[in-house]
Parts: sequence; structure tokens; C-alpha cells
Amino acid sequence: MTDRDQGTYPPTEKMLAQPVPDDVAKGQEERLRKVWAQPPGWRYWSAVNNTEVGVWYCLTATFFMLLAGILALLMRVQLAVPENDFLDADRYNQFFTMHGSAMMFLFAVPIFEAISILILPSLLGARDMPFPRLSAYGFWCFVIGGIFVMGSILFDAAPNAGWFMYPPLSTEHGGIGTDIWLLGLSFIEVASIAAAVELIVGVLKCRPPGMRVNIMPLYAWYVLVVGGMIVFAFPPLIAGDFLLEMQRSFDWPFFDPERGGDPMLWQHLFWIFGHPEVYIIFLPSIAVTAMIIPTAARRPIVGYSWIVLSAVGTGFLSFGLWVHHMFATGLPSISLGFFSAASEAVVLPTGIQIFAFVATLMVGRVRMIHPMLWIAGALAIFVAGGLTGVMVAIVPFDWQVHDTYFIVAHLHYTVFGGMLFPVIGGIYYFYPVIAKKQLSERLGRWAFWLAFTGFNVTFLPMHLTGMRGMPRRVFTYPGDLGWNWLNMISTIGAFVMATGLLIFVYDLLRPKGKQPDPPRNPWDAGTLEWTHNVPAESWGIRSIPYVNTRYPLWQQPKMQQRIDAGRYYLPDAQEGKRETLVTSVIDAHPLHVQRVTGPAWITIWAAVFTGGAFIFPTFHWYPPAIVSAVLAVACVIYWNWTSTAEIPEAETKDAGLGLRLPLYVSGPDAVGWWAVWITMLADATAFSSLVFSVFFYWTASTQFPPQGAGFANPVLMAIGTGLVVASWALTAWARRDAGRGAMAALAVAMLAACAGGGVLILALWLPDMDPTAHVYPAMMWALVVWVIVHLIAGVVLQGYCLAGLAFGKITRRYDAPLWNSLLFWHFLCLTVLVTGAMVAIAPRLMT
Amino acid sequence: MRRNIFGWWAARVGLLIGPAGCAGNQSMFSPAGVDALATLNLFWVMLAGAVVIWFALNGLFLYVTRIHVGKMSRRLAEAVIIGGGILFPLVVLSALLIYSLPMMGEQRAPDDGLRVRVTAERWWWRVEYWPDGATAPIIAANELRLPVDQRTEIELTAGEVIHSFWIPALGGKTDMFPGRITRMTLAPSETGTFRGQCAEFCGLSHALMAIPAVIMEPAAFDGWLREQALPATSSGAGRAVFLREGCGACHAVRGTPAAGRVGPDLTHLGGRTALAAGILPMTADALRAWITNPEAIKPGAEMPAYDHLDESDLAALAAYLMGLK
Amino acid sequence: MSHDKQTSDARQFAEESASLTRITAAPLAWAAHFALCYGAAAVWCVKWPGPIGQMLPLRVGLGVATVVALAIIGWLGWRSWQQWDLLDDYDYEHEMGVGEDRHEFLGHAAFLLSIVSFVGVFFTSLPLIFAATCR
Repeated sequence: MTDRDQGTYPPTEKMLAQPVPDDVAKGQEERLRKVWAQPPGWRYWSAVNNTEVGVWYCLTATFFMLLAGILALLMRVQLAVPENDFLDADRYNQFFTMHGSAMMFLFAVPIFEAISILILPSLLGARDMPFPRLSAYGFWCFVIGGIFVMGSILFDAAPNAGWFMYPPLSTEHGGIGTDIWLLGLSFIEVASIAAAVELIVGVLKCRPPGMRVNIMPLYAWYVLVVGGMIVFAFPPLIAGDFLLEMQRSFDWPFFDPERGGDPMLWQHLFWIFGHPEVYIIFLPSIAVTAMIIPTAARRPIVGYSWIVLSAVGTGFLSFGLWVHHMFATGLPSISLGFFSAASEAVVLPTGIQIFAFVATLMVGRVRMIHPMLWIAGALAIFVAGGLTGVMVAIVPFDWQVHDTYFIVAHLHYTVFGGMLFPVIGGIYYFYPVIAKKQLSERLGRWAFWLAFTGFNVTFLPMHLTGMRGMPRRVFTYPGDLGWNWLNMISTIGAFVMATGLLIFVYDLLRPKGKQPDPPRNPWDAGTLEWTHNVPAESWGIRSIPYVNTRYPLWQQPKMQQRIDAGRYYLPDAQEGKRETLVTSVIDAHPLHVQRVTGPAWITIWAAVFTGGAFIFPTFHWYPPAIVSAVLAVACVIYWNWTSTAEIPEAETKDAGLGLRLPLYVSGPDAVGWWAVWITMLADATAFSSLVFSVFFYWTASTQFPPQGAGFANPVLMAIGTGLVVASWALTAWARRDAGRGAMAALAVAMLAACAGGGVLILALWLPDMDPTAHVYPAMMWALVVWVIVHLIAGVVLQGYCLAGLAFGKITRRYDAPLWNSLLFWHFLCLTVLVTGAMVAIAPRLMT
Repeated sequence: MRRNIFGWWAARVGLLIGPAGCAGNQSMFSPAGVDALATLNLFWVMLAGAVVIWFALNGLFLYVTRIHVGKMSRRLAEAVIIGGGILFPLVVLSALLIYSLPMMGEQRAPDDGLRVRVTAERWWWRVEYWPDGATAPIIAANELRLPVDQRTEIELTAGEVIHSFWIPALGGKTDMFPGRITRMTLAPSETGTFRGQCAEFCGLSHALMAIPAVIMEPAAFDGWLREQALPATSSGAGRAVFLREGCGACHAVRGTPAAGRVGPDLTHLGGRTALAAGILPMTADALRAWITNPEAIKPGAEMPAYDHLDESDLAALAAYLMGLK
Repeated sequence: MSHDKQTSDARQFAEESASLTRITAAPLAWAAHFALCYGAAAVWCVKWPGPIGQMLPLRVGLGVATVVALAIIGWLGWRSWQQWDLLDDYDYEHEMGVGEDRHEFLGHAAFLLSIVSFVGVFFTSLPLIFAATCR
């Protein structure tokens, strides 16, 4: 019991057994329905509910998957026979680049976020995600970025340097395609991080009361781990994109060996992202499997702790594998050995997960529901992919098969078995929750057997093709090397597989209007998502239950009825506001009632302008890009000002079951503060990647900094850093005071920050450090540019708080924006101090 | 180098999966080098293990979902997690690491005297031979020749973009970076011609960048290398065409005024096994096709098309080049 | 679940606000050891490349680091084993929504993570013995 909430918690059995009068329940239902209703007509697209945005997100990702699949089929046609001229070299290169990029960035990662946004709230008995408008914003960013990147192929301008975009090929010969890839996908990566932040906060803070960490659904554990991995894995790529784009646009020579740059740095940054990425797309599928297996076995999972260990362990180990994509780069044997060893170590957690599933099936009484067919297929495929993975993690073997069709086979075995098949199984499983209809089992069997057979016919021979010497990414091959019939078989298989997947997509999309409503819990599962309403209700869950078992529908038999009766928490919406419950991280103790945002167009506008800020620079149209960026910031400010941290009409409200909870909290109790904290971890990771780059250049070259190079002006660096630190201190003081004095402090802080930024620029400008001359000045400038961009954001936040105080949106009691801005400034202060040291001190020590 | 116990299997399976092409084989299944053979044996070991594990795991899954669907003992299930998830992989993977880690050092062992520097260009190969004690290299292109039964160091670098050097029958691959030197060593164990190919995507004609590796007896190799060091001997009408058309701006033919460094050295072109980085046979017809329109054969190639040459000039030029033995 | 039980839980197993991060201690030890090995070898091979004998200081240094890492992970494992407290009730499911189950579950998960981290560090040390060369 904390000191803020008042009343009884946890609820007693007596309280729960008390019936809710019918007329009361009716009134509650009507009010809830009204508050959560979707906007009608064309306004439908302004919806932000997880149930709507999640569906759009899934369908869009599926659409991109189909496009990328078509590219694959066209490539298979080209490779069916030797010396084919169906596609020319450039088009083929565009196709394989886009196939890989789209499958990774427009399908595999987004579909995880889409499915999670769609079902996580129902798994946790929550009304919605904590920040619905953020999900909508992320979705629209994804749509705009995806269409931009994918559309480039119609103009014959698509990226063509492979999905790892290795410089110098991508810098010297990429054409506009490289810029499209860098800026378009960075845009989508930012949206991915936003979704990850939201999912993490959702799992940590939006669980139903009583759902302690030891009983939360395994899916939620995986979301937590994968979200964390995204937060730490994507930023290095964003940092890499930043450096590569600076070279493309402004000729800063980060990857140009003639001016001290090093193409290897990109490979490191790309694969520090790229290997965790593999597990980012694999773990969610295991999560889906972890929901299906207990239902099929009709008993709780065996080895819950084992699976949690596997998820967390895989999350960690996956960050120590990246160099196994670089075994052929000529690194020292001992270094390769470390990564080979770590790559084998990750087998343990992966194996444990699979054996925990098998153990559950052993102990249970199994019934082969249809989704299990896909899971069985996935297991057969994934285990094969995992075993070839063990092989390619062995360095000498990888020296042979690296960059051959053996790798193409291996990676497709892992992604089909470790991602696509379980996801499809999951869609069959969750479809009744999502669409309130069922998919056809008959079509499902056809789809499965065609896809499964076709898959193996396509990819099993590729192991052999690769070992017989065929490199990947070749648009043609001679007819006398023994590859002809292998390629022909693969092409035939690809079309068989495509037929199977098309049947699935047809089943997914065909109108099912006449189909009767399915049973509410068709698989007889035990978790909360199956308390959904059939036919659909927009409120998510009628009342938020008190949960104290892992499989509440099995272990708390009266739960369904009590949820429906509105017996539990937040059964009403008296004030006409959308609300969900926020609980504590470990034990899910109810903390406060969170008002969540409703339908809005502003999120779409924000996405459009953010898109402009990323897309215009592709064509070197900088003025419209800057205008777009300013408008995007304006939209985000408007959206925050009008709908977040609103001062409530009362201090507390009756949350049901005799519990009164606060309506406004700030600081670490608030979900917004957690979101900022996690976002800043991602931001700090990107910055660390830049710092890593400095040390990388130092270890990789004797010319960093080059002989006789100038240094940043130390006095100016110290002054600039000092001004920014002063700005931080003033912001901290303003948070404490939160009154009239705070306004003055914030005004001075803004001036200090601007002045500090200017002085930092001068510190490099005056010694005439030319960023195009050598990688050393370029790297110093990159750090300072990074700081300047953050300073701009920091000043905007200070201004927001100043305005909030001036207009009474922020007061001593209602001070959440001050807490959140200060948290941002803590990180910014640290960033500036490190930058000061890296720019003013480190180079002097390195010479 | 004699094949060991796996050789029999390799030969058997080789009937089914082994390759043969006129440009030499490019398959890992017919190793002709110490390293390739060691890696192939490693593969057979891993494959055998993988097949057993795959059938065991999927068999178990099938058994518990289709055959014995009823409840089984909880203790047994936990034994499966601990045994299958921790103990078994711990033992097997430790063994595999201990088996494979020392192989890196063996495959990167120092050379026995010869050093060859290969520079990858878009899309062909500069090859320079540095015998023990040499002060200047012997320059060739688009073909690698090595003596059998001795280890040679291959020093790798690249002109503009990243490539990767790979001759599957001899050993693994190593990437080639502009502005950086990477090293590998190869120890051929059989004579013959083996095909290699660029393995890192390098742009438009990545698919058309091969290299024949000719493995010779040491004595024959020494003789060949001595000849390579000599200037060109060919003459005839084609020589004038060659010089008149400005071919020497890009190509070198030692012993003539042609001393270009942009394109491949042609001093002993006619003696090589293939043309245009392993994609055309070394014939007069192929030469003529190439000279007339390189772009049609290798998209993006930097050599301009000499489609204005008349029939007699072309014939003379081809004959001259073929004569550069 | 009786009300009394809940309140007694509240006394005995007050919410461990840091415990979610505590289960990551062992993997973090693995990560630190791994980063140290990788970083030290990378710098060593750039600054002092040479024959195998000259790597002895590096190998000994990282060997000591390995022993330290294994000891830390072993200690973490022992602590989480005590938190799991298997032998008091032979509970390895922890499936009830009570403080004791949550407390023991976090111990159990941390213990298993220590095992995996231990194996990870052990694997990472193998190249120090079997592939200790900068070539």
C-alpha cells in the first residue's frame, strides 16, 4: 500500500463476489462504448486505438512482404537457367537489395511491433497501449517511409548496393538509391524505436493489478526483451546511417580510405545492429509459440523460468555475435575465435526454449489444433537453420561458405522457421481475437503443405548450390559449373511456396461476412486475450481484472463472468475520458489512472512532416527539409500540449472495487517519464556508437589524428561545455521550484544553451578544422553536430516548459513535463561532457 | 596430400554432387588444397552430427504430438530440458570449438617463400608475384598460378570497392579492401585448373569476376614465372593497331611503348587460360567480341568499345594479342 | 488467495524495485568479460602484432580476467540459488501471484542466467588456449 492511493487493495473475495446491478452495468457499458467508439466515416483514419492501428500496421507490413516476395520470384526466374537475360544486372541488383531491405525493415521488424500493438493490451487486460497517438504516429511514419523506399523501384532508382549497404560501393556507386535507403530506412528505424519504447512501457507499467512479473504471459516477457534489444541495437545503425549520409551529402570522409576513413567501421556498426536484429525478428515468433504450446498441451507451460532465462540470455548474447558476419574480413584469429565461441554459446538459450516447449507437450495431453501444424513445420525448418548456424559459426567452414548460396539457404531456414511460419501459426491462433472470425482450416492445410514443401524444395538444394561454389548476389552464372539443375529446382520450389502463401493471404483477406461468430475462446486457452468480446466492442476489456495466476481463465474460473459484469477496475467512464490503469513494475500494484489520448489527425500531420524532413534531403532539397522538420516539431508540440499531462478535474478518482487512485502523477511514477528514460537510453546508445567510432579509427589507423592536425580550441570547448552544463543546472533548479522563479531560470537556461551551442561550433570553426579534409576533423564535427541537434531539442523542451508555466499548464502539483524535460537534459548534459572530453582532450592523448 | 577416411565418402557423394566445368571446378566437394580438404572433413563431421540431431529433435516432437499424446512424467520432461538444452550442447559445442579453433592458425600458417599480391579492380584482378628475395614484382593479371605442395601467401587489396578472393577448391575466402591489406595463405595439394570467383558483392558485374587458378609442379611453375618476367615477343600488324588505337594508355605490354596501368597487364595475355577475368575462353573470336563491345559482355566495364575497327584490323589485333604468350 | 496471506507477503517480500535489473547481473558480467577480451585482443593485435610467444601477457591477463568473471558469476549464481531457495519447498514453478513466488522466481531466473553466462564465459576463454594468434 503506498501513501497516495486510498482504499482496499487487493480486493477480497467477498468484494469480488458482490454482483453488479444490471442497470448500473448497462449505463457503464453505454458510457464506455461512447468514449471508445471509432470515429465514423472518413474520420475513421484518425483513429489511434491499438485495435485499429494494429490491424492497419499488420496489413501494411504484409503488403510489403508480398511486394518483396514478388521481387524474389522475379529473381528466381532470372536464375532459373544460366546466362539468362530476363533481368539485367542493375535491375537484378536493385531487386535483391530491396528484397532484403524490405523483408527486414518493412516486414520482419514492423510485423512484430504490429502484432504486439494489436494483442499486447488484450494479453495484459489493458484498454489500450499507454501512448495510442505514438503508435499511430509510428504507423504513419512506417507507411510513408515504406512507400517511399519501395516506390523507388518503379523509377528504376532503388538502392542497389545490397541490404548491408557496404561502403565504398554504396558511397561511390550507389546513386540516389543509397540516399533513399539511408534516409528512408532511418525514418522507419526511428518509428521502430518509438514503437519499442511504447511496448516496453506497456509491459512494465500497464499490466493488470496483481499480475506480478512471475505470472505475466511469456509473450510479454519476450516483448520486454525484444523491445530492449531494439533500443540498444537500432541506434548503432542510425549512427552509421548518420555518418554514411554525411559522407554522401557533404563529403565527410568517414569511409574513404584515402582520407583516413575506413569501410570496416560501417561493417561493425551495421552488424552490431544486424545480428541482434536476427534475434529481434526471431524471439517474437518464439513468444507466439509460447502462447500456442500450452493451449495445445492443455496445461501451463513447463519451465516458465527456463523460458524467461532463454529470452533474457539470448537478448544479451546476441550482442556478442556481430563479427561472425565479418569472419572473412581478415581480422586476427583470436578475435574471430571470441565471436565463434559466443555464436556457439547462443545455442544454449535457443535450445532451452525449444526443449521447454517439447517438455510442455510431453507433460500435457496434446491436441493438434491447426496453428500447431505451422509450429511443427517451423520447428522442422528452424532446427535445420539452427544447425547450419552452428556450422557457419565455425570460422574455417564460414571462410568457405560465407557469401555463398549456403548462407542464403541458412538464413532463409532461420527466418522461415524462426519467423514466418510461427507468425502465420500465430495469426491462425489469434485471428478470432483480432477479427472475430475464424480462418479456414481446410485452406490452412493447403497453404501449409504447399508453403512447407515449396520452401524446402527451394532452399534445401541451395546448401548444395553454395557448396558447389555459387556466390550470392550474382545476376547470372555460367552453365558449366554444375549449378543449372539446382537453380531450376529452387525456382520451381519458389513458385510452389508462393502459391501456398497466396492461399493464406487469400484466406486472411476474403470477406467472411456470412460466417457465424466464432466461440469466444475457440481453442480453450487460459490467457486474458480470450476474454475479448464477440462481437467486437471497442473498449478493449470491459473491466480490468485482478489477476493472480498465469492462466487466469483456467485458474480463476469466475474471472470471465466478473470482467463482463464490470466487477473489476475501471468499469465506467463517468468523465467521458479514455482511461487505463497504470501499475508498478514488479508487483503490478495499482498506481494511478492514466488518461490516454483519442482520435486525432495531428499524428498524421506530424508523420507527414517528419517524412518530409527525411525524404527531401534525398534529393538535396534542404530548405523544404528544414521547413518540414520545423513543422513536424510544431505538430508534436501541439499534440503534446493539447492532449498529454492535462490537469485533471479532481485529484483522485474511484477506480472500482473501493480503490481511489490519483489521476495525475509525475516523475518516475508516470508512464511518460519511463518513455523518455527508455528513449534516452536508445539515444545514448547511438551517441556511444559515435564515441566507439573515434576509438575504432584510433585503433585501426596510425593516422588518427594525422600528423600535424589541428585541435579544437580548448578554451572555447570548455566555455561551451560549461554553458550547456549551466543550462542543465538551471533546468534542474526550475524543476524543483516550478513557480515564477522557474520561468526566469528556464529563460536564462535557453539562452545559455543557445550560446553554448554557438561556442562549441566556434571551437571547431576557429582552428579551421575542415571536415572534408580528413576523417579526424569530420569525426570531431560529427560529435558536435550531434550535440547541436540535441541542444535544439533541449531548448524546445525548455521553451515548452516555460510556456506551460506561463499558461498554467504546468504548476507545482502538475509538473510532469518539467520532470520529463529534465530527464532529457540529464542525458544531454552527459553527452556534452563526453563530447567535450572526446573533442578537446582525447585527440591530444591519441597522437 | 592423401585423402583421409572421409575421402571415400567424398568420392561417393561426389558422383552425385561433384562438379566439372571446362573453366575448372569451383566446388568445395573436390578439394585440391590442404585447407579445403580440412574444411570439407570438418563439414562431414558437422553434417553427420546435424542430421542425427535434426532427426532426434523432430522425431521427439512428432512422438509427443502424434504418437504419445497423453501425459508423460514431469521428471522426464525436465530431464529433457536440462539434458537437451544445457548438457548436450555444452559437451558437443565444446568439442566442436576445440576441434575447429586451431584450424584457423593452420590455415593461416606462414608461406614457404612465395608471396602473391592480388588487387581486385572493377571487375578484374591484378596479380603480382613476389618470389623470395624479389625486389620488384612479376606482373600478370586475371589468373593465379601456384606451385603445388607448398604454402603461398596471398596478399589482398582492392582498388575502389570491397571484393572477396575465393578459390573453393583450395581454401576459404578473404575480403579485399581498398586502402587495407588482408592476408591469406593457400597450400594446393593437386595440380590442375580450379575456378575462383569474387564473393563479395562489388557492383554491376559482380557475377562476371572470376579467376582461374592453375596449380603446377614447382619446377614447371618456376619456369613459367621466369617467362612471365620477360618482355613480350609477339609482333605483326596487330602490334601497330594496338599502339595506334591508344590501347597502351590503359594496358601495359612490356617491351613495347604500351605502359598503361589502368587495365590489366597484357604482356603474356595469350598464355592465360581465360579472358576478361575468367568469363571468356582465350580465343581469337572471344578477343574480337570483347574488343568490339566490352559493355555487352561485362556491364559497366570501363574499357571503351572499339566497334569502329574494320575486319582486318580486328583480326590482326586479335592475332597479335593471342601471340602474347 | 486469502487476504491475510497477501499482507504477510507484503511484509516478507517487499517489492524489490531493483530486482528486474538484478537478474541481468550475470549476463552483464559475461558482456563485460567479452568486451574486455575483444577490445584487448583488437588493440594488442594492432599495436603489437607478432609471433605467438609475444601474446603471453595478453593471454595471461585475459586468463586472469576469465577466472575473475567466472568467480563473480559463480557468486551471483550462489546468491540467486539462495534467493530461489529450492530446498525449502521444492518449488520451481512459482506460478502464484504472491510475493514469495515472485521473489523465488526472480532468484530462479537469475540462477539459470548465471549458468548460461558461466558457459558463455567458458566458451569465450577457449580461443585464449586454442586460437591465440594475431595472424
